[in-house]
Amino acid sequence: MELFLQLLVTGVMLGSIYALVALGWVLIYKCSGVLNLAMGELTMIGGYVCLSLYIRFQTMMSIESAFLLSLLGTLFVGLCLGLITERLFLRKMIGEPILAVIMVTVGLSFFFKGMVFIVWDTDTQVFLPRVFPIEPFEVWGVAIGQVYFWSFIASIILMVVFVSFFKYTRWGLSMQACADDEMAALSLGVSAKFVYALAWAIAFMAAGVGGTLLGNINGLNYSVSLLGLLVLPVVVFGGLNSIPGAIVGGIVIGILQNLSGGYLDQYFPGGIKEIAPFVFMVFFLLFKPFGLWGWERIERV
Amino acid sequence: MSSYLPCGTYHESYRDEQKWWRTPFIKGKMIVMVILLLALPYLVSGEWVSVAYTINYYILAALGVQLLIGYCGQITLGHAAFVAVGAYCSSMMILFIPWPQFILDWGLAYPISMVCAGILAGLWSVLFGLPSARVKGFYLIMTTMAAQWITVPLVITQYVSQIGGRGHYFSLPPGTIKLGPWVIDSDEKIYYFSLVLVAICLLAMGNMVRAKIGRAWVAIRDNDIAAETIGVNIVLYKLLAFFVAGFFAGIAGSFYITALSFVSPEHYEWFYSLLWVGIILIGGVGSIQGLVFGSAFVVLVFKLLEMGVLGLSGILMESYPELGFITTKIIFFKESAFGLAIMFFLIYEPNGLAYRYWQLKNYFNLWPFSYTGKGA
Repeated sequence: MELFLQLLVTGVMLGSIYALVALGWVLIYKCSGVLNLAMGELTMIGGYVCLSLYIRFQTMMSIESAFLLSLLGTLFVGLCLGLITERLFLRKMIGEPILAVIMVTVGLSFFFKGMVFIVWDTDTQVFLPRVFPIEPFEVWGVAIGQVYFWSFIASIILMVVFVSFFKYTRWGLSMQACADDEMAALSLGVSAKFVYALAWAIAFMAAGVGGTLLGNINGLNYSVSLLGLLVLPVVVFGGLNSIPGAIVGGIVIGILQNLSGGYLDQYFPGGIKEIAPFVFMVFFLLFKPFGLWGWERIERV
Repeated sequence: MSSYLPCGTYHESYRDEQKWWRTPFIKGKMIVMVILLLALPYLVSGEWVSVAYTINYYILAALGVQLLIGYCGQITLGHAAFVAVGAYCSSMMILFIPWPQFILDWGLAYPISMVCAGILAGLWSVLFGLPSARVKGFYLIMTTMAAQWITVPLVITQYVSQIGGRGHYFSLPPGTIKLGPWVIDSDEKIYYFSLVLVAICLLAMGNMVRAKIGRAWVAIRDNDIAAETIGVNIVLYKLLAFFVAGFFAGIAGSFYITALSFVSPEHYEWFYSLLWVGIILIGGVGSIQGLVFGSAFVVLVFKLLEMGVLGLSGILMESYPELGFITTKIIFFKESAFGLAIMFFLIYEPNGLAYRYWQLKNYFNLWPFSYTGKGA
């Protein structure tokens, strides 16, 4: 029972990071209809940018303020990269067939991955000195790593910020309008191009923070991009265009991943932790292809 | 997509129009091409022969991707898994089955294992194609991706590689890959073998897509609901497409063990699945010529990039020794260049190289009196 609780709590906290990244994915899909396979690389870039900023800053000031500053820097870099990427590559793909758009994001992922490994090396890099103390604290007999705890807090805060941005601000409302019906939004004076740019910027920012947090947990290397790819089972589970679906899906996939790592690893040694979400996704697709809250599209000839 | 014929050339029957070689000029062109291909090992150095058979391997592997995406409209991003199944099946059959002596003497073990590899890879592909009966588009992409993740990192790395306790890869001792009386051991022999395989597979594919099955596949690609209403059994034909694509992938995997003389999971990573989809996008979706152009383009660009980076780093090392790290990062330059190539082709030439070739051919066929507008 204790093991179960332990895995559950850690899973929820890990899942919150996935939920944050998935939120960015869903925003892009809702607003511009682009199915983005480059999400893993976006998380990786965010992590590496934050790491190099942190190494630069921590010689000048205390650890906490250096980390916060570099996190803000990551958000800014993500914003710029998102705007540039959307302008250069994705805007030209509006209205193209689904395979073309997907393969553009695949091309993007190759490009980013190559660039990341040319600039930063392939060796695992860690945040040193550690941002979060290594000693866990205990709540009702469950040990919680401080990294996990603060990641959970950070993802929750960012998710609340993004969702309230989407719900209550003028720009967020124009994004909602565009997601709902692009034609009607255009006729009411919403600039679709601006909305797409905004969606990509937000996705880059969310993925960047997600990458930073994942990098704090395990160190930064190629596997961060594989963890970022877990966003796909998450959105399939929650429904492609549902923001609550992304959040719930992220947490469920986090729990599933941790439980399978804890319980199934002895029967299927090695790697089951990374594969379990994909296996789960295949079976889920067979029974409920539109996810929990996704829109069911009715097709006409 | 057949090109316009020169002035004064016309066909009198449908059969004439559907021929492989429609005019004497095309026939002559094909004969010259075959002679050039056969003479290639005598014309260029050994390094380029290996480039040539890598192109052939990519053609074989991407053939199934072209069939699924270009002709049947079922997007797959996990084809490396089926190639891996073929490669592992073939090499394990050669290594572990106690073959009777006469089969070894006649050199039949490898061909038998190749056919079995194709069938097994086809069945494995059908297994992951089953969801296509229910889902399509993005959701089908997810299941084929899952095929990749389940097959290569889990099943093959964790379980299949442990058989026989040889560590992470199976190496094939020299002389085990024997095709009839020939032992396939030099670059030239691998090249000729690949040429024969590519010729057979491309002919089979070309004939399939212009027959009844091919028309059914194209109908499904264009609109599957409409295809169902006119009486195409879409589940059957989709699964058939998956089987045939998996079969070609198995043949490709089984062929490539001759060149590698070992198998290990790192040759079947997700990168390769995406590479093969990229090849057909660069070459042209829904065109067999495009497949050849795309493979040649990608392999040659990789090769030139490698030569360029190596040459450049030689110069750099002399004057700027601190920039020597570039040589160790060739693979990442390749990946970036490939990513950029896919994006630029999709944005500026979505019809691929095959379309450009078609335009060129028409321009010369109709020159100087083109009656279809400029350059088309």
